Amino acid sequence: MTLISLKSIYKIYNVGGEEVRALDGIDLDINENEYLAIMGPSGSGKSTLMNMVGCLDTPTSGIYEFEGEMVQVMDDSQLASIRNRKIGFVFQTFNLLPKATAQHNVEIPLVYANIRKRQRVEMASKALESVGLSDRSHHRPNELSGGQRQRVAIARALVNNPSIILADEPTGNLDSKSGHEIMNILDDLHQKGNTIILVTHEDDIAQHAHRVIRLLDGEITEDLKIKSK
Amino acid sequence: MILLFLENFKISLSSVFANKTRSLLTALGIIIGVLSVTLMGTLISGLDRSFESSMSWLGKDILYVSRYQWFSDMEWWEVRNRPRMLPEYVEKIKERSKYALAVAPVMQRGASLSYKEKKTRTEIFGTSEDYMQTISTDIASGRFFTRNEDRSGSRVTVIGDGIREAFFGNQDPIGKYIKIDEMKFRVIGVLEKQGKFLGLFSIDKQAVLPLGAYKRIFSRRGWMRLSVKVPYEKLDEGLDEVTSVMRHIRGLKPNEENDFAINQTKAFEKQYTTLKIAIGGTGIFITLLSLVVGGIGIMNIMFVSVKERTREIGVRKAIGATSGMIMGQFLMEAVAICLFAGSIGILFAYLFSFVINMFFPSTLPIGLAIAAMLMSLIVGVISGLVPSYRAAKLDPIDSLRYE
Repeated sequence: MTLISLKSIYKIYNVGGEEVRALDGIDLDINENEYLAIMGPSGSGKSTLMNMVGCLDTPTSGIYEFEGEMVQVMDDSQLASIRNRKIGFVFQTFNLLPKATAQHNVEIPLVYANIRKRQRVEMASKALESVGLSDRSHHRPNELSGGQRQRVAIARALVNNPSIILADEPTGNLDSKSGHEIMNILDDLHQKGNTIILVTHEDDIAQHAHRVIRLLDGEITEDLKIKSK
Repeated sequence: MILLFLENFKISLSSVFANKTRSLLTALGIIIGVLSVTLMGTLISGLDRSFESSMSWLGKDILYVSRYQWFSDMEWWEVRNRPRMLPEYVEKIKERSKYALAVAPVMQRGASLSYKEKKTRTEIFGTSEDYMQTISTDIASGRFFTRNEDRSGSRVTVIGDGIREAFFGNQDPIGKYIKIDEMKFRVIGVLEKQGKFLGLFSIDKQAVLPLGAYKRIFSRRGWMRLSVKVPYEKLDEGLDEVTSVMRHIRGLKPNEENDFAINQTKAFEKQYTTLKIAIGGTGIFITLLSLVVGGIGIMNIMFVSVKERTREIGVRKAIGATSGMIMGQFLMEAVAICLFAGSIGILFAYLFSFVINMFFPSTLPIGLAIAAMLMSLIVGVISGLVPSYRAAKLDPIDSLRYE
């Protein structure tokens, strides 16, 4: 089933009177339970594409359907709702709230989803357990290692049972051992049926994915299925 | 929605307490504002109470006829040149006035009182048997003197509760002899406890003697005033009537001005209202000023807070917060600082009210405390509005990149 469908998506910025085409006619379908890597040099538009797919940004023109719903016509609160329920973000810099415990960090998406405290605690504990951090749930980010922080971030991305997990350079700030652990977790999630989109410029990270898209100057230059699933 | 409200409330509290010093400094303006408005209220409520009881001592239904107009700017020699009040006016007023229920002549001076080796200085009053009708105090024990005792110049006295306590303690003073300026007087009654007049002097430290004895011993030619009791609901008519009776007694022609004055507690009320407006006006001015300054301070710190937490805003938006939720969070934070400030202000005002209470009985009016909290809330909303709107409108992508 097609989860995400992008049809001739353009994102055009006007920088100092000069037109910058961050996305220059992207056509892309992503199916359920795909494991996709988006690659490309910096400035190629991969972050813009990621933001577009993650409903943080809207296209200048084109049609974006998420589970059959037109995203480009949605307002702020509808976009927020999609991000909240359908998409789980994992960032390069983790982006945890520094003053909140791991448990609380994972609970935040549930707060915005208006889920009751008791259920929230239960769901967050389960998510932390699935990334192997049950024993760290009451630690703050600064008491955790980089790998652990990223695992908390993954738990936060998972907690609402989203349709896709968007990971933007998830291992970029980690040593290789922690990076491996994180990739193992993502592989695992994919095994369990999650759809994963990975943005990276490292080939060995992209190797984990089953389909690799290369971007250059806002256009898809290569769309390669590594393994068929 | 309630869940989110609670969550925002928790976030804002933790943010306020995470930056204790900053919050406290920011809150200072609001604290001072709330403190000044509640203290002012406490002060006025205390003054009100004290004023009420003092006025009831003076008697709202009493006309005080004398040479001197209260709170007037008459020169002393003008007053001195006016004819004195004479004891015979009492009978004349009683005769001619239909509103006068009681007329008592009152002379007053300082004197030293002693009982055995105990000594005190106080005010003594020489008056007639009608006096009791012109004051709101009752006799606590014993009795007041009679017309005959007045006429015959009996050396009897009715003392205030303060004198009784100072001289006799738990003993029964009735029938005991005290000395007033070295003259022996027999105590026949004690007045009820009164408290202080306008918080200034104790009404209880007084001794009342029959005018006959007073004049014989102390001064034939002292200042005298007449206390005329009229029905409270006929105060204005009484005033007009007593004025015309007095003019008649003095033989004044229609074109001549009054050479006497008739005072009422209203004169105090006018003075008091002026004082109250002065206190209230100053209080409100300080309050408004510090609320404006405090509000600006809070707005400023909220801008800083939004700036500092740009990334957090980005993260929250990425994981599903709408602009409205972000706005709510920061608005709540501003309100939390203000309510926190309001509570501290009220706490201080409560403590200060004990100090005020030492001068005249007063309590912090609950209504005013609630109003002050409401005021803090409003300041919080107003000063938080622009910063939180700015937070709400931040672009999530830019915010996530913000270093």
